[in-house]
Amino acid sequence: MSKVLMKGNEALGEAAIRAGCVHFFGYPITPQTEVPEYLVKRLPEVGGAFVQAESEVAAIHMVYGAAGVGIKCMTSSSSPGISLMAEGMSYLAACELPCVIVNIMRAGPGLGGILPSQSDYFQATRGHGHGDYQLIVLAPASVQEAVDLMTLAFDLAEKYRNPVMVCADGMIGQMMEPVEFPGEGRGEPFKENDWELTGRKGRARRIVNSLFLAPEELFQHNIHLKEKYGRVHRDEMRWELCGGDEPYDLLLVAFGTMARICKTAIDEVRRDGLRVALFRPITLNPFPLAACRAAMDAMHAKGQVLTVEMNMGQMVQDVRFAAEGSRDVDFYGTAGGIVPSPDQVAAEIRERLAGVRATTPIRLWSGAGLCCEAQGDGVPCAGTDGTCDTCGRAMPAPAAQPAPTGA
Amino acid sequence: MSRIQIDSIRCKGCGRCITACPKDLIAFSQELNDRGYTYVDFTGHQEDCSGCTLCAVVCPDQGIEVWNFKDKQTFVNTAGLTENMTHYCPGCTHGVVHRLTAEVLEELGLLDRAVGIAPVGCSVLAYEYFNIDMFEAAHGRAPAVATGAKRARPELIVFTYQGDGDLASIGGNEILHAANRGEKFTVIFVNNAIYGMTGGQMAPTTMPQQKTTTSPLGRDVETTGHPLRVSELLATLRTPAFIARGSAHDGKHSLQLKKLIRRAFEYQRDNTCFSFVEVLSTCPTNWGLSPDESDAWVESTMMPYYPLGIFKQPEAPAVAATGASHDH
Amino acid sequence: MITDTATLMDTEVLMAGFGGQGTLLAGKVLAQASMEEGREVSWLPSYGPEMRGGTANVIVCIASKPIGSPLIEHPRGLIAMNLPSLEKFAPKVKPGGVIVVNQSLIDKDPRRDDCVVISVPSRELAQQAGSARAANFVMLGAYVGATGAVSVEAVEHAIAAEFAGDKARFIASSVAAFRAGVEAVCPRS
Repeated sequence: MSKVLMKGNEALGEAAIRAGCVHFFGYPITPQTEVPEYLVKRLPEVGGAFVQAESEVAAIHMVYGAAGVGIKCMTSSSSPGISLMAEGMSYLAACELPCVIVNIMRAGPGLGGILPSQSDYFQATRGHGHGDYQLIVLAPASVQEAVDLMTLAFDLAEKYRNPVMVCADGMIGQMMEPVEFPGEGRGEPFKENDWELTGRKGRARRIVNSLFLAPEELFQHNIHLKEKYGRVHRDEMRWELCGGDEPYDLLLVAFGTMARICKTAIDEVRRDGLRVALFRPITLNPFPLAACRAAMDAMHAKGQVLTVEMNMGQMVQDVRFAAEGSRDVDFYGTAGGIVPSPDQVAAEIRERLAGVRATTPIRLWSGAGLCCEAQGDGVPCAGTDGTCDTCGRAMPAPAAQPAPTGA
Repeated sequence: MSRIQIDSIRCKGCGRCITACPKDLIAFSQELNDRGYTYVDFTGHQEDCSGCTLCAVVCPDQGIEVWNFKDKQTFVNTAGLTENMTHYCPGCTHGVVHRLTAEVLEELGLLDRAVGIAPVGCSVLAYEYFNIDMFEAAHGRAPAVATGAKRARPELIVFTYQGDGDLASIGGNEILHAANRGEKFTVIFVNNAIYGMTGGQMAPTTMPQQKTTTSPLGRDVETTGHPLRVSELLATLRTPAFIARGSAHDGKHSLQLKKLIRRAFEYQRDNTCFSFVEVLSTCPTNWGLSPDESDAWVESTMMPYYPLGIFKQPEAPAVAATGASHDH
Repeated sequence: MITDTATLMDTEVLMAGFGGQGTLLAGKVLAQASMEEGREVSWLPSYGPEMRGGTANVIVCIASKPIGSPLIEHPRGLIAMNLPSLEKFAPKVKPGGVIVVNQSLIDKDPRRDDCVVISVPSRELAQQAGSARAANFVMLGAYVGATGAVSVEAVEHAIAAEFAGDKARFIASSVAAFRAGVEAVCPRS
């Protein structure tokens, strides 16, 4: 099939249909609205239906209902709407119902703004509803990859009976790029299974439930889920290492749109002879810890690691976890819908590798309590009058001492 | 001469059958059953039993079956419920509403394609009792779950079973919009004017001056509003629907209620419209009343405020924007 | 015309104007045409809370290899449909780039001696071509004529594809406007 020029949001919708999705439940929110607007036209053509829910809360529970009766379905939203879906996601994961949730991230917190952001990394990867559960989280960096990961999302959802989130930012959603779709027309429904509620005829009745009042039973259920997540972490990690074939002095770690911007920045600084590689996790959960560590270990001892994110430092925690203290991991990023340009990232790289002072107008933030100005980040701020002598920022408050007991 | 058979293990000793029996043929035993309840016995003369079945109709625990004078069984516990004994308190009419719903599904031949949705509240464990495919939904979200299930598989008979906190409070938005969209599933809404499972807090349907743990001086309508009449509210919607209110507080009303539930499922079976049956139900434990007193309280206090009847039906002409098409 | 062949290979153009001037559409046509010529493309709009009015701009990247950042701070091309866009973006164009100025609405020199600046009376040319609303295609034509970023035929084909169906009545005037723009910078010999 030839390529078509399509907006990311619309491509996500078409990819869902090619993956066999026949029902969509959602509520309007910028910048993901083209997903439902596309599907409301397309779903009836494949015998499916679109329901505009009264809220994101209702939408995710409609997904629970449709997934529970064994129908491939999805919802999409953007950050504040995803927050409202937290409850339903916990139930879906607890009941092991397969479905796909798209988050076209916008800047937060609160109502925030509508411009691109990656500030829902924690929300997506830490399973933002209650209880011990995990989503599988996929982060595309192009419209074509959004299509490919949408297909994968439905496959993984069915394979592991777990909700899968496709986590993109407003740029992917709003951008047009050429895409090629897999297959023709509507994809396959779920394979025959023993969990969908279809009426008890000819078999024992089934229950979709997450209530376990006996603690032992609930513990067993948690163990069962944990084992499943273990398989996901073992088998489903996906990543990309760009520029890893040659030696490098700096490893950038970035996902989604930010990773593309880093690639352009790397192309630019390579002309100056700077040696930089990019590690891009494609699965945010499971985060490819071992591969990320291997990309670090491939560097000499003084090699630097820098995560670049459109947030105030979230994935950097996983990258530090991957490093396990073997080397410092710094953070560079912006929030609020401001997307760092390739020039800004390149300037940051030059400053780190060539000692060239960045002329970046926005001084990017570098981790609480860690001085961003001192040579070699990761050095704690130090000062006597409440501000850091080096970077001038307010010093973090000292840890509270336990109040003396007795009076 | 007819006869009844009382399952003394199932009996929780609520005594509703004693009140229901027109011939005073049932009485409390002097014994406790294995579950610690003072169960009931048939103590009258066999020839006095007319086989009216009212004792079985009001029993919330599937504890009584009836045979007529030809020794033909005229009251059989429905195959629509499992044999699990419910966790409901003695005299709570949830058990009656469960049974009536299950009987209707069985009589209409719908058990094999029914999917029920349990709420959060006292009836959270309804999935243990209905002998069909069941969901357990998050608090208030049952109408959304039902929307998803019914839209995805229209051939299923989908119903939600919700209490007043679940439906009228936290799930107010979901029920309103499901009804307004005309989703073709059925809702059984059990209104007992209180939060039961959490221990007797004020519900949107709590009566004025009614004492609960969160309205210890009685519900103050000045600060907490008036009890929500959900049926009347939904009946104002233009979307065609069947909306009715019945009561489970005695045998006669329970039989009338069953007819409403039957109509509701017939409308769904025929793909006609959204159908909604509100049921006035009892909560002896949290009301602080005996089962008998509770049944009487429904009639004396709830029914004047929550009138029984059909508020909307699909056959009726479109309802004027000013109000429902019923009078009371 | 432009002689730097490296610029011709991979380029980015920022189109900016008022909402309703058709900048996003013209950008889409350029992207579509380039895609059909086998190039890698991306089309990244700015988006804001307003549905109508305000400013609208789009960055189209055209390259021979997969595109890294679709967001470009210093593009090699600028099509400025109105004065605020010119003032905001002209200083950001890379030295040696191309700036197409909508002369119908802008009476100001961008003062970029290091760029090729082309002023086009887009509205007048569009009117002559049959529709004043097709000024966006005049501007696109001038850019394509000046840079050869994509073939004229590919753009004409993309315009026809964009308006296929119930908007087919716009094809003739849009194509004519596009050609008028091309010819304004490279007159037929």
